[in-house]
Amino acid sequence: MAEIMPKLTRLERRKSDLLLTYESGDELSVEYVDLRHACPCAKCAPNRNEDQTSIDLRESVEKLANKKPKVVTIGNYALSFEWEDQGCSSGIYRFERIWALANNKDPDNGKPYVHGPW
Amino acid sequence: MSDSPVSVHNPNEGQPQDEGPSAAQQKQMEQAYAQMKRKMSMQEIGKKIKHKIMVLSGKGGVGKSTVSTGLALSLAQQGHKVGILDIDITGPNVPKMMGLDGKRLHVEGGRIHPAQGHLGVKVISMAFLLDDDDTPVVWRGPIKLGAIQQFIGDVEWGNLDYLVIDFPPGTSDEPLTVAQSLPDIDGMVIVTTPQDVALMDSRKSIGFAESLKVPVLGVVENMSGYTINGKSAPNSTVEIAGPGGKSISTQADDEGNFSVVVDIFKKGGGKNTAEEFSVPYLGALPFDPGFVRGGDDGVHRIVSEPEGHSAKAFSEVVAAIQEQIGASESSSLEII
Ligand SMILES: Nc1ncnc2c1ncn2[C@@H]1O[C@H](COP(=O)(O)OP(=O)(O)OP(=O)(O)O)[C@@H](O)[C@H]1O
Ligand SMILES: [Mg+2]
Repeated sequence: MAEIMPKLTRLERRKSDLLLTYESGDELSVEYVDLRHACPCAKCAPNRNEDQTSIDLRESVEKLANKKPKVVTIGNYALSFEWEDQGCSSGIYRFERIWALANNKDPDNGKPYVHGPW
Repeated sequence: MSDSPVSVHNPNEGQPQDEGPSAAQQKQMEQAYAQMKRKMSMQEIGKKIKHKIMVLSGKGGVGKSTVSTGLALSLAQQGHKVGILDIDITGPNVPKMMGLDGKRLHVEGGRIHPAQGHLGVKVISMAFLLDDDDTPVVWRGPIKLGAIQQFIGDVEWGNLDYLVIDFPPGTSDEPLTVAQSLPDIDGMVIVTTPQDVALMDSRKSIGFAESLKVPVLGVVENMSGYTINGKSAPNSTVEIAGPGGKSISTQADDEGNFSVVVDIFKKGGGKNTAEEFSVPYLGALPFDPGFVRGGDDGVHRIVSEPEGHSAKAFSEVVAAIQEQIGASESSSLEII
């Protein structure tokens, strides 16, 4: 994973994942389930602090339909995803976060969640 | 009665049938219609106003209204068509800063028409509803929020390039109502002062922005530093006693002019908050007693000294905001 995040130029919503194309030429994907498990909102995020609640969160996300979400750009720094099912749609994903997920890195850098938006 | 086997409970029993809806029903229908019309008009207004910017802070008195009016004037200086909506019901002070003290609401043909302040900026303020400037309006929740919706839906702004919305302090219902009523808000500018308490509060506002789903355009640090200009012997060293007993020294030039920036509060707070949350830092506005004068005689510093230090600082903040808005507009991300 490059130290500096390249610019995301293309995002394709596929059946069960996002296909991301970066300016650097990297073509990476993020499963919808992984994306949703990593929701940065204040309600979901604290659940990842404990192993058991993190597993529960994962299971709850896996149960959802995970159909193609609507993608909304937030300013020029983040995206949010609107799911048509009952699951959480409130997380704002900074591009750095999406880049980390695409590279299978912990987007929270191993830090527990403390109240703050991202 | 008919001999139908089905018995229908009729609340209007005894009254003649087929006469159309009752008075109560009529009223309900009219209300629903008005509500629908308002909603459509909000959509319409949303389209006629290119950019909508909310100005918020966690704490009161950090300079939201000063910043809102400053942004509006600075944008107007660039030649844009600008409006400012002052949502603060308990302490609306935008009219004073825009030279519109004592104005009342102008209603024509069922529409509210904004007043025009300095540089042609259109102004709508809750203050226009007050009979007496010294009596604050105490409106309870739902009425207040209804009034805000009405203010958004029934105002005839015309075509605007920018609408700046000034809020009361804190993360209350007003921003939520506005965000829900007005489509496509570009984002919010969070005003903070360099002090720690104010910073903590602006953290709250950023979290709040996330829950509103309105992007944070960035953080502005207000009352950042105070510039002292003076005269001394040419090329002499000048020493000034700064806050906390710290002495600041500077060199006078050939003609004896000197200028020192005194940080009244700790510096860099806005930048730190911005960095911590990785939201953009939009710049700092100096402490300028002239803004206060604007509050009294209705001449904003930007109007009285368009080339001055403060006006420059504002135009830099405006440029940073425009970069944020422009960047999201021309976003080169292709979403499929
Ligand atoms: N940069 C500045 N330099 C000097 N004085 C300032 C500055 N910014 C604001 N002030 C003064 O501070 C006071 C509060 O400012 P203002 O009314 O803009 O704050 P506010 O955040 O809108 O307050 P409220 O929370 O009550 O709505 C005013 O007297 C104003 O003139
Ligand atoms: Mg104010």
